[in-house]
Amino acid sequence: MSKRRSDWEQRPQARFLRWMRDGYGALDDQITTSISQPAAPRPDQEAMEAHDILVGTHRHERELALDRLAHYDLQNWANTRGRKVLGRLYAVLALLLGLILIYFLLNTVAFMPRFASADVPANNEVIARYVEKGLEETGAINIVAGMILDYRAFDTLGESTVLFVAACAVLILLRIDLDDHGQPMQQLIAEESDDRHYEPKNDRILQGSAMVLTPIILLFGIYVLFNGHLGPGGGFSGGAILSSGLILYLNAFGFQKAGRFFTYKIFMWVSFFSLGFYGVAKAYSFYMGANGLHSGIPLGTPGAILSSGLIMPLNIAVGLVVACTMYIFYALFRKGGL
Amino acid sequence: MLDWLRFILTAGLLVSGLIILITAVMGVYKFDYVLNRMHAAAMGDTLGLLFCLLALIVSAPDWTTALKLLLIICFLWVASPVSSHLIARLEVTINPRWQQLPPPPGKDEKEEEVQP
Repeated sequence: MSKRRSDWEQRPQARFLRWMRDGYGALDDQITTSISQPAAPRPDQEAMEAHDILVGTHRHERELALDRLAHYDLQNWANTRGRKVLGRLYAVLALLLGLILIYFLLNTVAFMPRFASADVPANNEVIARYVEKGLEETGAINIVAGMILDYRAFDTLGESTVLFVAACAVLILLRIDLDDHGQPMQQLIAEESDDRHYEPKNDRILQGSAMVLTPIILLFGIYVLFNGHLGPGGGFSGGAILSSGLILYLNAFGFQKAGRFFTYKIFMWVSFFSLGFYGVAKAYSFYMGANGLHSGIPLGTPGAILSSGLIMPLNIAVGLVVACTMYIFYALFRKGGL
Repeated sequence: MLDWLRFILTAGLLVSGLIILITAVMGVYKFDYVLNRMHAAAMGDTLGLLFCLLALIVSAPDWTTALKLLLIICFLWVASPVSSHLIARLEVTINPRWQQLPPPPGKDEKEEEVQP
């Protein structure tokens, strides 16, 4: 008997159960403290019923009170014993999920062809065409720019639109509401000023370095935007650099000064015109190309700054959308407005 | 001969930069208090990156690449101390007890509770 019992004790199932029930972890300290100090006394059910009979409360209120009681019990359980069990359960489920994911991914990898073998699905005539005729057909020295903004321009339009939609969603969720007179609510203004009270304002060191760095960062962003078809860079990276310069300026000099040149109106019009120009220009060139017509857009000499047709304007459009989106994300998450 | 000298210089600078960066990462994870961690991180950002980029400058193929790397060093030496300064200032602003030293490492609060 004892031998069997010790046998069972040694088994992995038993050890697992013991670990689930009384294993020691970092959470146990918190649990013991929360057990020793109950947050609030439990509402007395009998006293409540007696009070109900005495006063004759409505049934609705009584149900509400009982709900509160159940909620208190549940919260108590979750704070003390339940936290441990739920924490272990969470660990076990996370491990299981990870193992299942690993199994499926490895299974998928096992069915893939060998890396760089001849029969890889990606190894087809498309890549050969991109590499061999990319310069001739798009006029871009940077083949990647030629791919994402000429052959696969539709894809990039979708990405820019996703950025714009994300900015709109964040705007809807985080913007500080206006009251009937079009002014921000007083309470929210107070909270916001209280929040900003804790942040370093008008820092001389930051302002000095921002005075030096912001123009350089903006210039570099513009260079990356305009140079996208000639070298590494392009719309997305250039837009990110531009917006980082703007965010640095905003941090150093505050929302009032930044609000002089970047408002909701500017954001809306810049995004609208960039996306609209992108859509119209690419629709035109796709339509003409699909019908076997000449689009009339000169490709220029490869290597010149004004070359490769639509790629540079499209880069600028994408960069403006990215810059506006990142800047407005930052402003909304920090303050809830511009 | 010159190639060997260049290679040895590059390797030495890279290794010393990596040692400083690893020390900085260890410090960031080892310390508990914000200002200590900030000091470790800032040290890695300035000195460690300086050594690594100097190694790249020494081994650069032409002058324009070296000049660009020098500009990156200038940028990082402006940006990293300023960000550390901002972290320190935020800590001083929001923590009223920032001048009190954190408890020395090795003394846990649990032991103090057990004694009485």
